Amino acid sequence: MNPHFFLLGGSLSQERLAWIGECLKFYFVRLNPEDLLHHTKSHEGVFTFLLTGDALYSLHEPDTARIWEIILGLPSVRIICDRHELALRGISVEGLKMKHPDQILNYNRLGVGGQASFWNDVARIARQHEQPVPSTIGYLQLDSPYMHRSSLSALKCLTAALEAHASVEFYAYLDGVHCGHHGQNPTEFDNIGSGLEEISEKAAKRGLLCQMIACSRCAAARGYNTWDDGQGQIVSTCTIKPFRIRNLNEMIDRFAKNHIILGENVASIQMKKDGQTSSFPLEEPGRSPPVTVLITTTPYGTERAFGGVSFAIACAAQGIPTQVIFIEDGVYALAGSHTQETDARLFNLQEVIDAVAGSRNLELFAFQPSLHQRALAKNAKMNAVLDIGMAELGQLLFYPPRGLQSGHRRLIIF
Amino acid sequence: MTGKHANIPDFSDLTCTNLMIRLKMLLKKTPPGVPVACYVRRGQRDTIEVPFARSGYEVKVQKADAHRYRVSLTKKETEMDL
Repeated sequence: MNPHFFLLGGSLSQERLAWIGECLKFYFVRLNPEDLLHHTKSHEGVFTFLLTGDALYSLHEPDTARIWEIILGLPSVRIICDRHELALRGISVEGLKMKHPDQILNYNRLGVGGQASFWNDVARIARQHEQPVPSTIGYLQLDSPYMHRSSLSALKCLTAALEAHASVEFYAYLDGVHCGHHGQNPTEFDNIGSGLEEISEKAAKRGLLCQMIACSRCAAARGYNTWDDGQGQIVSTCTIKPFRIRNLNEMIDRFAKNHIILGENVASIQMKKDGQTSSFPLEEPGRSPPVTVLITTTPYGTERAFGGVSFAIACAAQGIPTQVIFIEDGVYALAGSHTQETDARLFNLQEVIDAVAGSRNLELFAFQPSLHQRALAKNAKMNAVLDIGMAELGQLLFYPPRGLQSGHRRLIIF
Repeated sequence: MTGKHANIPDFSDLTCTNLMIRLKMLLKKTPPGVPVACYVRRGQRDTIEVPFARSGYEVKVQKADAHRYRVSLTKKETEMDL
């Protein structure tokens, strides 16, 4: 059983790893102190960190390696490394493994074809949360192919999910919609479009379901919506066959289900206590996993911050308990007074935050340590965004919302 | 965004999430009891109707033409929690 896991593929900064480490300390010291006295002997661990891509550099860099040492000193924490990505980068974890032989795993699980892959480990962990079998594994893709290696991770993840006999769902949001452009022809990289088509075909052959949904707002902005029937059905002449361009709400409908949804930087926090059964139907109200959206980027340099807030608004409107936490560079959205040029179509992020403040199912938080680290003060008008410190962050992540019966909390880093 | 009526904006080109943001902005600036009206597409109507009605707004929908609807939202005097 893997109650909590973090799947991290993007660059893992000292700041990010520090707050993750502090949250784990909160979990053990405040919520499960008995585990500190009696180390759980479970081979699986209570917290599993699944590291791939540039997150692997954090095991080598002195500032982050030091924090990993502290995290690995906590009971029942293990790290599963993507062996192929370690080799690609020439990173060795042997030193760390000598100190923590049972906690650092750099050999990956064999698949059906006898090939070892990190994503077999990921699929196995993601699949465990769903009872009874068969299950579904989703992947949220925010970045474009080729510029970002996360698109390849998505392919490998969904392929491993199919091997684990799970139905698969691919959600293309922001630049992730480019993954579904037809006619991709890379010469030095795996073809992401063809890969997605192969996944769709494999799923059909195995009798598994496969959905690929692209956000219509993101697709329209990028020129994909070539025909709209006026009723939400959009037909594009420039996407691969399995891709469906749909209103964001249709994508959010999938997030209201209870399956595990992965992505480049996500986590799943277990909400149920051991011994509870999982006999609820997936569609039951109150069963939707709560969503925590972490806004970690500056507000205007990329679409990520606005995309994260929009995503959270859509989740809340669909009845999913949703938290937005402005953290790391995300706190720049709350500092100063933002002014947009006069244009009826546009609004700045502070206007959006102000407009949605107080919405049902939506809570907004500012992580004070991130503000302090940047010598920033929150705009006094952003008073609907509640200040939180480290302890409150731990509470938000590990305490389930009242009355909620979901198995886990989704944490998505934008 | 050209309205069919001089004072009623046409939001039919907005995505559903942006429409929700836009309406919330307008509603925040509008005193309780005063309606906010706009033209929307059918898909947008579905997105607006349930969440706003469930949250204490009075929602009126009239068909304007084949694919457009005139939606009117009125903030009730009681506290909103949408």
